[in-house]
Amino acid sequence: MKLYETTVIFDPGLEEARVNEEVERVTQPIAQAGGEVIEVQRWGKRKLAYMIRKRRDGTYVHVKHKSPPELIAEMDRRFRLNESVLRHLTVLAVKESRKTLAAAEAAARAAEEGAERPIAAAAAPAGAE
Amino acid sequence: MAREGEARSFRRKFCKLCFDKVERIDYKDDRRLTRFITDRGKIVPRRISGTCARHQAQITEAVKRARILALLPFTSEQYR
Repeated sequence: MKLYETTVIFDPGLEEARVNEEVERVTQPIAQAGGEVIEVQRWGKRKLAYMIRKRRDGTYVHVKHKSPPELIAEMDRRFRLNESVLRHLTVLAVKESRKTLAAAEAAARAAEEGAERPIAAAAAPAGAE
Repeated sequence: MAREGEARSFRRKFCKLCFDKVERIDYKDDRRLTRFITDRGKIVPRRISGTCARHQAQITEAVKRARILALLPFTSEQYR
């Protein structure tokens, strides 16, 4: 199981319901193959930097997921057959480096401490967090 | 920056990404990446931008991915 990021650009002409349906078609096989959908980001309609199939806009959907590597090839095949997909890209997601993780953890801890001791937090000048 | 022919003021270039302590440059961050492409859409070489090797490699990969997703242009249309 590996961590991936898949971005799909759908035809801007698709209605909301159809887009949801397409997203379902991406996420369902992942769950079925024993993977895990971590996050689905909808960037909405965006202007394309260049025309793709005579379209100037595209509906972007970004999915973070854990999947078996074999599924990626199958996903790629399906995207290529799907007429409403203008473009797709799957890359290996980078794990957060230890430094950033440590920083995030420290920030979370500081926030928690602040919540536990409201008096101390109030006494400390703003911006100390 | 100093131009050819003028009295040059030497100023050492530095990697702006190192300066900002950027850990990893993301292909989805097209706003940041536009600073590293020319108005024709080319990737700015290290000798111009002063980026360090590590960050330049990351920029290159990120720009190429962003181009696939049409977040950045392969080339500017008006020049074609």
